[in-house]
Amino acid sequence: MAPGARTGLEIGAAVIVAAVAAVYLPQVLELFSLINATVWVSMAVLALSLGLVWGFGGILCFGQTAFFGLGGYTYAVASINFGDTTWAVPLALLMPTLLAAALGYLMFYGRISDVYMGVITLTTTLILFKFASSTAGDEWNIGEAPLGGFNGIPATPPLNFPLAPDQQLVPEQIFAVAVLCLVACYAIAKLVLRTRFGRVCVAIKENELRAELLGYDVRLHKLVMFALAGMMAGLAGVLFANCVFVSPTMFSLSYAGQVIIWVLVGGIGTLVGPVIGCVLVQMLTTYAGTLSWIDPNLLLGLVFMAAVVAVPKGLLPTASGLLARLTGRAQL
Amino acid sequence: MTTLLSTDGLTMRFGGVTAVDGVTLSIAAGELRCLIGPNGAGKSTFFKCLTGQYKPSGGRIFWRGRDVTGLDSFAISRLGIGIKTQVPSLFDGLTPMESVGLALRRLHGEAEARRRAVRALERLGIGALGHRRIGLLAHGQRQLVELAMVVAPEPDLIILDEPTAGMSADETNRAADLIRELNREHAIVVVEHDMHFIRAIARKVTVFHQGRVLMEDEAAHVFADPRVRDVYLGKAVS
Ligand SMILES: Nc1ncnc2c1ncn2[C@@H]1O[C@H](COP(=O)(O)OP(=O)(O)OP(=O)(O)O)[C@@H](O)[C@H]1O
Ligand SMILES: [Mg+2]
Repeated sequence: MAPGARTGLEIGAAVIVAAVAAVYLPQVLELFSLINATVWVSMAVLALSLGLVWGFGGILCFGQTAFFGLGGYTYAVASINFGDTTWAVPLALLMPTLLAAALGYLMFYGRISDVYMGVITLTTTLILFKFASSTAGDEWNIGEAPLGGFNGIPATPPLNFPLAPDQQLVPEQIFAVAVLCLVACYAIAKLVLRTRFGRVCVAIKENELRAELLGYDVRLHKLVMFALAGMMAGLAGVLFANCVFVSPTMFSLSYAGQVIIWVLVGGIGTLVGPVIGCVLVQMLTTYAGTLSWIDPNLLLGLVFMAAVVAVPKGLLPTASGLLARLTGRAQL
Repeated sequence: MTTLLSTDGLTMRFGGVTAVDGVTLSIAAGELRCLIGPNGAGKSTFFKCLTGQYKPSGGRIFWRGRDVTGLDSFAISRLGIGIKTQVPSLFDGLTPMESVGLALRRLHGEAEARRRAVRALERLGIGALGHRRIGLLAHGQRQLVELAMVVAPEPDLIILDEPTAGMSADETNRAADLIRELNREHAIVVVEHDMHFIRAIARKVTVFHQGRVLMEDEAAHVFADPRVRDVYLGKAVS
């Protein structure tokens, strides 16, 4: 199959699955479950963004939550101040993009090695966590929005229809918007990887020196890729803010770590893998929370260790490898 | 004949080690130059300075008379300088077609890049390997893939650092033919240890020793020179 046709097919399949989910799930799920599902979808967007920058850009980002949280906070603060979410959304995409661009500039143009990139990105999100946690009190109001310290901003408004502040979306609609965003991000990532830019990014991940010697500006490519993934994480933050509300937890170590686990479990080097990893791990987390005979975190830790040993490449690559073996097709 | 590339007192130090020590050298358009010298003479380091992988500690590099010292590797590549590095530098997870295609995509549209990539691979006798994963290819085949990536965009100057290392006799002959053929349109600088290979392709030979240019002459004269023999036998040269 031609690569172009294949990309089209994959995007088409994703659209169908999403359309079914967006229409069907709100009819069968209770409100609480639906909101929970929306949270998962927003997390899936976050996982996708890390899957893109790590799996295809080769950039080890341990602090993808920095952009996630910043997106959420920007959305909350801006929509409270504007009294309308229409312009809050683009602003909430812009801020994380700018942060990613600035951070990327420092890291890539400062020729910082991979390990330190992990350290720097993780530190960034932890600094933001510390900062957001220390914003209790009136001196931390931005316009009309109180940052609220550790409690965050419980008054984060839900999305409204464009330019119609009094027509707020109901949870069913927010769920549909979240699913739409997930599919859009997936399609964008797929298409970007088909462009020359995307292919050069993959080549850079394979061998930075060779890409450079072929005349490609490695640092610029990494910067753009990093900023793009930062924007996606910001969008995830907006969606998250719509079903929970923004608080410093969005920047926390536990969130930052979870995203990495989702991507690892789902499979680095795929786009669907991180989404599947995210949903599966979250389902497991929820289930573990209902068990009384074992500590949920302990169970998760054990499952994760088992996953790393049993499917080191991640679920999706392993599954497609098995499928290829079963159908006797040579795996490329 | 016009000078393509020249260096003036090029020097590269690593701490206390001076790997390249005041090298002044120039390559004319259309030239085919061999660089020889014992292990550790500084040939690869010299190339890394030329291609921007190292920022030289001293001296200047000129491309068509323009000072290009300190430019980044990608910018040097865009001037029209291609290098095949001594340690093969490939995209192991990609196929030869994808890799050579990528080398061409900077200059050509997608369809044209693909057409030229097919041609480049066929020219090197590895057309049949176009869709294999490079990581799974044999060493000699990998060398040819890298060569294809370097020559396909038709750079004005092609630098080859031990291109035939690890190749079979057959592959080496093909590479020698290719180098001569490429030389009709491109200037080439090649490092080689194999004397037969050098005799087969070279006109002018530059001998490196301890980071300096020991001598520069026609191949026949160089090989007849006692100093060169001493260097290769490991004797000290005064
Ligand atoms: N990155 C580096 N750091 C420190 N020393 C280096 C570095 N690169 C090269 N050298 C030293 O510089 C000298 C020249 O090395 P270089 O690789 O340029 O030699 P060469 O002529 O290419 O040798 P060979 O024929 O073995 O490829 C050697 O003594 C080497 O140890
Ligand atoms: Mg060398």
